Amino acid sequence: MTNEFIALAVPALLLFSAIFILLFGLSSYYTKARGYYITLATLFVTLLISANALSEKHSVDLLPELFNSMVVYDTFSATFISLFLFGGFLTLAIAKSFIYNTTYFTFESFVLLLFSLFGMVVLSMSNELLTAFISLEIASMSVYILVGLNRNSLKASEAFFKYLLLGSFAASFYLLGMMLIYAQAKSTNLEVIAEYMLRTDLNSQLLVIAGGLLIMITILFKIAAVPFGAWVIDVYEGASLPITAYMAGIFKIAVFAFALRLFLGSYISLSDLYAPLILGASVVTMFGGSILAVIQTSVKKMLAASSVVHSGYILIAFAAAGSGTVSSSSAILFYLFAYFISAIGAFGVLSYISRGSEKVINFDDLNGLAATNPIIAASLTVFLLSLAGFPSTIGFIGKFYIFTSAIESGYTPFAIFGAVTAFISIYYYFKVIVHMYFEDSIHEKIDYGHKLSFSFIIVCSVIILWGGVGTTLLFNIPGIDELNQLSKYAIESLYLE
Amino acid sequence: MSTLSIIIFLPIIAALFLFFTRPSIAIVKTVYMIVTLSVLYLAVGLYIDFDPAKSMQFIEYHPWISEYGINYHVGVDGVSLGIVMMNAIIMPLVTLALHKLRDKNGYWINLLFVQGGIMGAVLSLDLMLFYLFWELMLLPIFFMLGLFGYAKKNYVAMKFNMYTIFGSLMMLIAILYIAVQYKEQFGSYSFDLDELKKLTLSTRESLLVFSGFMLAFAIKIPIFPFHTWLSDTYRSAPTGIVIVMSALMAKLGVYAIWRFLFTLFNETSHAVAPFFIGIGLFGLIYFGFSAMTQTHIKRMFAFSSASHLSLIVVGFFIYDVYGLIGSSYLIVAHALSSAALFLMVGIMFERTRAYRIDDLGGIARVAPKFALLFVFFSLSIVGVPFTAGFVAEVLIILGAFKYNIYIGLLTTTTILIAMLFMFKTVSKVLYGELSEATKDFKDLRLHELVALVPLALLILAMGIFPNYFIKKIEPTAESYSQKIGVIYND
Repeated sequence: MTNEFIALAVPALLLFSAIFILLFGLSSYYTKARGYYITLATLFVTLLISANALSEKHSVDLLPELFNSMVVYDTFSATFISLFLFGGFLTLAIAKSFIYNTTYFTFESFVLLLFSLFGMVVLSMSNELLTAFISLEIASMSVYILVGLNRNSLKASEAFFKYLLLGSFAASFYLLGMMLIYAQAKSTNLEVIAEYMLRTDLNSQLLVIAGGLLIMITILFKIAAVPFGAWVIDVYEGASLPITAYMAGIFKIAVFAFALRLFLGSYISLSDLYAPLILGASVVTMFGGSILAVIQTSVKKMLAASSVVHSGYILIAFAAAGSGTVSSSSAILFYLFAYFISAIGAFGVLSYISRGSEKVINFDDLNGLAATNPIIAASLTVFLLSLAGFPSTIGFIGKFYIFTSAIESGYTPFAIFGAVTAFISIYYYFKVIVHMYFEDSIHEKIDYGHKLSFSFIIVCSVIILWGGVGTTLLFNIPGIDELNQLSKYAIESLYLE
Repeated sequence: MSTLSIIIFLPIIAALFLFFTRPSIAIVKTVYMIVTLSVLYLAVGLYIDFDPAKSMQFIEYHPWISEYGINYHVGVDGVSLGIVMMNAIIMPLVTLALHKLRDKNGYWINLLFVQGGIMGAVLSLDLMLFYLFWELMLLPIFFMLGLFGYAKKNYVAMKFNMYTIFGSLMMLIAILYIAVQYKEQFGSYSFDLDELKKLTLSTRESLLVFSGFMLAFAIKIPIFPFHTWLSDTYRSAPTGIVIVMSALMAKLGVYAIWRFLFTLFNETSHAVAPFFIGIGLFGLIYFGFSAMTQTHIKRMFAFSSASHLSLIVVGFFIYDVYGLIGSSYLIVAHALSSAALFLMVGIMFERTRAYRIDDLGGIARVAPKFALLFVFFSLSIVGVPFTAGFVAEVLIILGAFKYNIYIGLLTTTTILIAMLFMFKTVSKVLYGELSEATKDFKDLRLHELVALVPLALLILAMGIFPNYFIKKIEPTAESYSQKIGVIYND
């Protein structure tokens, strides 16, 4: 398969499949199971296709005559596309029990899921500000509606409305920023802008700088950095669990994908200028997120708040990446993968044990889970340990890369601050473990059913442990080294001509 | 796979296997016994094959995360050999003494896991690998505290966890910092102890990094003022974990000071040594007096342990070949005696359901075998001649006198203080009037004797024939003190 074929086939397949389900959903042959399995199969097939482009470094302008260099398919986008598809597949697979137990997952929800994935796929490939904006909005709009899926829930409607309003407002910053950049650089193409910035001296490109700042605000909003992430708790809480997992685990990564391309690819010459801002944002994000997470009483809200802290960690590496080392940029990629798999697992377990009910899962609801469902409890423990950055999990390796790159760029105090927030995170993550293992259960043993969800929860925890200790010495399965190599290739492909 | 890897991973794999298959308790205990005895067998083999003339042996080396120069690198030398041996000896004896008490799978599974973790941490020669095992051995302890602990166990488990992880994270940053410095000086990352020795750091840098490491180790040991988790945790912890914490984990903290700090920051360690000797001496006396005032027998032993650990710290920091050998010897000697004493306290609790020293009394009248062994182990902790503790303490005190006569005198007080609180406890618990709790006290059963007598014999052997044991440590210690001597003479 040539890379061009992959780059075209994946979004096309997602789109066709979405339209097919849209039409199929209106027919009398439609059942929820069929819709579910068609979506799952689409994601599986596209994942298989896109994974083919991961083995090497490459970068191609996709049909430049047709698309006018709007999209570029390199190892970077290939990695992210595979990540999204893998993430979408895992979310859906784990959420099977949730989807089957609820009434509001209609065929439209599958369509929206595929649309949002399509948006993210294009976003990770887009080499141009306008394309990026449109694809980001395609993804965002679909996610807004997915948040409000449960029409009977007041919370969900509120979350939908809040997210829609604030999200659209934040998007307007992007538009303004893009306008400023266009006014000065006379183009929205990232490569042209980069060239312009290299040619011009710093004082005469103020509009480009201001435009970059405005776009950064939108990005900070979408990744829920403090103080732009005030929506995050309400929205994550209002959305149904699989959607929360999807937003925290995948949608956020899509935004990071674009941010990386923008700030490492074209804005790299300004990185010294932006570094203090990004570092400041990372500190308040880690600090604010930690406080938010500590005070939460429901597990879902705690996980939502802690996802803010993780954005903070990535922002440290973001600032460090500006110093030009490939290792810190690939650290971000590795961390994103580590976070995504752990978050999907953790939210997945919650959605699995909530069985589609509206009930808020408090810490007390997990009491004695270890006695009644030891495997589920053990998996959730693995996910939490990974989120907390405990050694022998992939989350630890991710933090290790982030902190190393921060120290390497001379940001040792920020690494120490990161370690302190990681220490605080031990408190709220281990609180869940305490409730699962040390408190007596009031519940009887529940048979949750849904072997598919169950087995994919286990798959996630195995990946996490393998990502923490795995080496090719054992069993010849790709381990940490290979993942690391892949993220390096991905970053290097940004700089390929 | 070499012997060392089997010693590390056999217990861990067995623990995972038992967790997932969930067999009956009888099978779990049998597997535990088989695994720990196999580890003991391998460790004895290691001890016999160990060639004292060479320093690092049985080295195994595999690339792990090659991008960052992290490798699976394990090996054993004279000092780590002692800890490996005592870990291998104590673990099977725990089950012998306690196997009637603990009928929960998790208890034995976690103990297996912790054994593997400790072995891994002792044998690691790569900082990342060491960090991995250092943290991993925390988890089973956390779970055992919460699952099988007493009174306020959740709070105590969390407190212990937060304390130690805080230290560990600071150590992590320190480890990353020196790895990055190594990259700047030599062009690539390395976490290998042998490689990192080449590093040159400025005084300020090495002091900061030293503090990062030291914080983690100080909390684990614990030395003053990082001991506040100690008494809560020892009181709440189940016997198995108290043994692990006092006999093994705390020793690992002291060992790590020597293995990592003295290797990597020799000059800084030497520069700050007087400070830590001071803290150690203060801790020794402070914990000794705290032990005297305790009414809860487990807490009393907790403080007595802490007091002896401070002595070990002093022994290391006096930077002398006697101190080094003495401390390494005391690590093993104290581990054996304190494991035995905590086992006996566990046995005593099982019979009397009483932990308060005032509730006990007159046990010697009804249980002579128990009393005999209890007195013997108490004496060995105090360091009476013909016990292992005596040899170790004499060596440390000799080293201390060489360092400074006042330090030597202060170190000597340790024996006096230990005698005071030990005799106070022994006389109260074993002699005097029989109390409500002790009047039906059953003497030691056969399986308990089988567990305790070998420990007693080993302590005697180490006390009477110290040369046989010391000769395994001596060359390692001497090679270190030669290096230290270079700085000494500057």
